[in-house]
Amino acid sequence: MLDFLKKVFNAEDKTSKGQANNRLRLVLTHDRLGTSGLVMEAMKEEIIQVIAKHMEIDGLPEVKIITEGRHAAMDISIPLKGR
Amino acid sequence: MEKKTAEGQVIVVTSGKGGVGKTTTVANVASSLARLGHKVVVMDLDIGLKKLDLILGLENRVIYDIVQVIEGECTLKQALVKDKRFPELYMLPAAQTRNKDDITPEQVKQLCSELKKDFDYIFIDCPAGIEQGFRNAIAAADRAIVVTNPEVSAVRDADRIIGMLESANFKDIKLVVNRIRNDMVKSGDMLSIEDLMEHLCIDLLGVVPEDQSVVVSTNRGEPIILNDQSRASTAFNNIAHRTLGEQVEFPTFEDMSLWTRIKNMFSSR
Repeated sequence: MLDFLKKVFNAEDKTSKGQANNRLRLVLTHDRLGTSGLVMEAMKEEIIQVIAKHMEIDGLPEVKIITEGRHAAMDISIPLKGR
Repeated sequence: MEKKTAEGQVIVVTSGKGGVGKTTTVANVASSLARLGHKVVVMDLDIGLKKLDLILGLENRVIYDIVQVIEGECTLKQALVKDKRFPELYMLPAAQTRNKDDITPEQVKQLCSELKKDFDYIFIDCPAGIEQGFRNAIAAADRAIVVTNPEVSAVRDADRIIGMLESANFKDIKLVVNRIRNDMVKSGDMLSIEDLMEHLCIDLLGVVPEDQSVVVSTNRGEPIILNDQSRASTAFNNIAHRTLGEQVEFPTFEDMSLWTRIKNMFSSR
């Protein structure tokens, strides 16, 4: 609950400290994975395209990196259309 | 005085970015431990850009350096500089006219195993960067202290260093945050301790406030811990106690952020 509230407040944070935190979150995730924001965007598109080639996507697909401590995982959520 | 522990510990102080306070941390934590009666040696591995002798005010007492020891021009004992203010503190100086490639990680390991016989703590002042100097500095270390400032570029470099230490199988990596200004944290213009912990995900060993008396002590070549009036002095003494494994409370209640206070209220129930 506290973490959730913290995230909500951080998202609204317009202070320079808040900006520093948001920039660091992104850059550290990319540094640790040895990738960049541009590569991530391109990969996201490719992943969605591969799925779309074989199945019909229904709604907004999401591909994002989630972090737990110093570890990261890719979270892919692609809604599919049933017959 | 005799050493207190059977086997000495090697602690590397590192940061990635230069100018965050590695040498100041080494000088003051080591002096503080020596004052508590532990046998301590500080080893400057910033070969070519040495600073530790100057920060400790021992620059006029240097005769030999670490490269001369390794190349057999003098003995290890001859090169050690004794600090007259702290009878238990010694320094092994860096060479100024040589470079980082003139020594190898194996040679540093060899030196440290010699020093472990006579000292309780061996502090290694690591150069900035992630190249040969960094590899030399971490080779023999049992523990690592990562120093950073509450500033994006220093945090990014600290994160890279922590990743490299983890790859090198370090199990004991602790964080020292230097030059924090609580007034700026409160006004939302400086990263807080909580922010840094969230980004770097390692245990906190110490928090050193921005303190003008550090500049004064450095000008004089005196460790800050000799100035009892200084807030940085208290912080470095606390780090020394925590290095020994003692529990020392972190900064006062009003210095903490709202979130920490709320969290503490819940956890104390």
